[in-house]
Amino acid sequence: MDKDYSKELSVIEGKPSLATITHDISVPMETMPNKAFYIALSVTLTFLGIGAFCLILTFIYGIGLWGNNNPVGWAFDIVNFVFWIGIGHAGTLISAILFLFRQKWRTGIARFAEAMTIFAVMTAGLFPLIHVGRPWLDGYLLPHPNQHGLWVNFTSPLLWDVFAVSTYATVSLIFWYVGLIPDFATLRDRTTNNIKKLIYSVLSFGWRHSNRHWQHYEMVYLILAGFATPLVLSVHTIVSFDFAVSILPGWHTTIFPPYFVAGAVFSGFAMVQNALIFIRKVFKLEYIITLDTLEKMNKIMLLTGTIVGYAYGMEFFIAWYSGNPLELFTFVNRAFGDYAWAYWIMMTCNVFSPQLFWFKKLRRSIPFMFVVAIFVNVGMWFERFVIIVTSLSRDFLPSSWAYYKPTLIDGGILLGSFGLFFTLVLLFTKAMPVISIAEVKAVVDGSQPTHHGGHE
Amino acid sequence: MSSKIEYTKQPIPANWTKIGMILTVLGLALVGASFAMDSTRATFNSILGMMFIISIGLGALFTIGIEYLAGAVWSTPYRRVAEILASVVLIVPIFAIPGLIKMHDVFHWSHAEALQDAILKNKSAYLNTTFFIVRMVAVFIIWIVFYFIFTKNSEKQDITKDQKLTKRNIKFSALFMPLFAISLTIMAVDWMMSLEPHWFSTIYGVYYFAGTFLTGLSFITIIAISLNERGLLVKGLGEDHYYSLGAMMFAFVNFWAYIAFSQYLLIWYANLPEETYWFINRYEGSWAYVSYGLVFVHFVIPYIILLPQPAKKDPKRLKLAAFILIFAHIYDLYWLIMPTYTKQHGIEGMVFSFYEIAFPVLIIGVVMVWFGIMSKNKNLVPIGDPKLQQAIDFHL
Repeated sequence: MDKDYSKELSVIEGKPSLATITHDISVPMETMPNKAFYIALSVTLTFLGIGAFCLILTFIYGIGLWGNNNPVGWAFDIVNFVFWIGIGHAGTLISAILFLFRQKWRTGIARFAEAMTIFAVMTAGLFPLIHVGRPWLDGYLLPHPNQHGLWVNFTSPLLWDVFAVSTYATVSLIFWYVGLIPDFATLRDRTTNNIKKLIYSVLSFGWRHSNRHWQHYEMVYLILAGFATPLVLSVHTIVSFDFAVSILPGWHTTIFPPYFVAGAVFSGFAMVQNALIFIRKVFKLEYIITLDTLEKMNKIMLLTGTIVGYAYGMEFFIAWYSGNPLELFTFVNRAFGDYAWAYWIMMTCNVFSPQLFWFKKLRRSIPFMFVVAIFVNVGMWFERFVIIVTSLSRDFLPSSWAYYKPTLIDGGILLGSFGLFFTLVLLFTKAMPVISIAEVKAVVDGSQPTHHGGHE
Repeated sequence: MSSKIEYTKQPIPANWTKIGMILTVLGLALVGASFAMDSTRATFNSILGMMFIISIGLGALFTIGIEYLAGAVWSTPYRRVAEILASVVLIVPIFAIPGLIKMHDVFHWSHAEALQDAILKNKSAYLNTTFFIVRMVAVFIIWIVFYFIFTKNSEKQDITKDQKLTKRNIKFSALFMPLFAISLTIMAVDWMMSLEPHWFSTIYGVYYFAGTFLTGLSFITIIAISLNERGLLVKGLGEDHYYSLGAMMFAFVNFWAYIAFSQYLLIWYANLPEETYWFINRYEGSWAYVSYGLVFVHFVIPYIILLPQPAKKDPKRLKLAAFILIFAHIYDLYWLIMPTYTKQHGIEGMVFSFYEIAFPVLIIGVVMVWFGIMSKNKNLVPIGDPKLQQAIDFHL
């Protein structure tokens, strides 16, 4: 079947009535969870429990329980931080940047992706806090006058991270919430339960679906999208500064900012795609989160994966071209040294596996794309591991070289972060509409009569 | 209901070619004079000129590719303008000639004694004359081949209205993108970064890309708006169609600033002498003012002009922004290239005289004349494109 380029393709399959859409999206919040939900929740809660247990042990006995050593002072803690911050980027890209680009296919997935952003940032935010080893002193991360005369180091990108991540989390939360207001109003009008009605009434701020409300809403939404766009780019840029402002070979390279942003979007899309494959199936929303949408996500993964590949190539080339022996050593060591296994996992998963998306058949096969997206996330986790650990383990003084090996506690905390993230995701799917009811109605065929005539 | 596509073929304004001719002649005179008086300085400027004309042609070629790939609708009425502009890649090789002939005057690494320098010896596997020329030829071939593929398919569609041609171009666009990234990086590294062969920066290709795309977009904006104001494009194009051009320029003004800032901050902060000297060269003497000026010309001023929403719909302000951005790109290239010249020749501070004007004048003239030649016998709008109707009906 050949595509007809003269018509705008509908983002929603079939011609569902508006009532069907409202019903299908609201149903999960109006029914009791089924057995599968409880099973999934108990799994994620178990992971979360393991993570919490490992954290408590860490707080009692100290970070000596981790594999970190001298010289590898940053390891799983920072790897996980960067990984989860990266996951968050897809949400803002979908909800804000694609909105500015007027990409209607984003409608079906924006809400869910944004929720994942918030949960991912929450998960990520934990790691710097525990990484300091004495989490009860975390308050000093925020500059405030105190009796000790202690101030943060304003010239450190680690502090810029505190500002960048907290600003990003705040704006993402507001953006997400603004989008939810009309939907809360819809739920309020549907529910028969008085307690629920009260909660939804409060949450919806007295929204009445009036014309004036919508006018304000669209204005605010556009402005917030404009704010969120530079913010999302700044967050991973500053995360990349954590490494790139240093003079450590393998960390100090000027392409880091755009390369980290591309990598973040890459892994974020993979995670969102993985989760959506379940969501659309379980909630029977295949006509809203269509195969076309998933295919477009895969194309973005192909694009960002290739950008990441370009950055790897450029780094390697310049390491040689610069004539700096330390730099070249670092890169050769990455590919053929002690951590070659991690490097090649990264290369296979990040650079080679998404290249299979060049083929339309593979791009549209759900089992196949699911596996590739998992590969991508594994690869992106290893990318941070490779960058951080290989560079540190071979620092300037050969006498201090050491091999880093994670401990069980490290693994437990990593598992716990997945537990936390997916617990929040699961709770979200039953507590709030996973798709924006109002926005989806606006992209159904024929919902925008003024767009195709009558304007003359 | 939606308006029908109303297009009658008309030639572009005759005075464009006239002005182009005058600029070309003036430019040729200046170029001739500069080669006669100081051929080294003229050669440095020829590189500036070549990188500028690459930006025009390649920027337009990239715009075509990205439109197909993203399935963009709003830009369809402007695509033929981009296609004609992309034909500039055919004349790019001419501007490489001075740089190749006088290679030893500008590229320190091409000297035989450069091999005594341990670092340059290490690089000689990449930086050597033969490989340099091989890369350049390969890059030119890639651009020219893709230019012909895109335009032939698109022009054929004017007559046949065959949708398969769109599909074919989409496939070629996908193939073009990685080749585009690599070829652009090669040209940026070879012709500009290697002017100071000890210096290196991994973001350099991306930096040049930001300027390239902005320049291509600015030329398209100016030409498309001017043609439309004279009623030479398809009927029904107005401010809603201009808006996206402005929004795109605005986005890439920010992108350029982001890349430029990243490069600067990371090098400044790490403070490694093998990297910082490149910026120090641009801070010595009067070069400092050029560096400060770059921030304003390339970022602050276009940012302020393009920020308000009405500006993106106003043809006057859009053209103003586009002119500033073209100037900014020339300014940027001057800032990238000429400090090497002053450093090599022991000149303190910046130099600016008719040498630096010669090539930009010549190139703008040549591009205007070339546009006139290449647009002959062509529709100025891809009238057979299936997306065109939708694009004309587009409203914000």
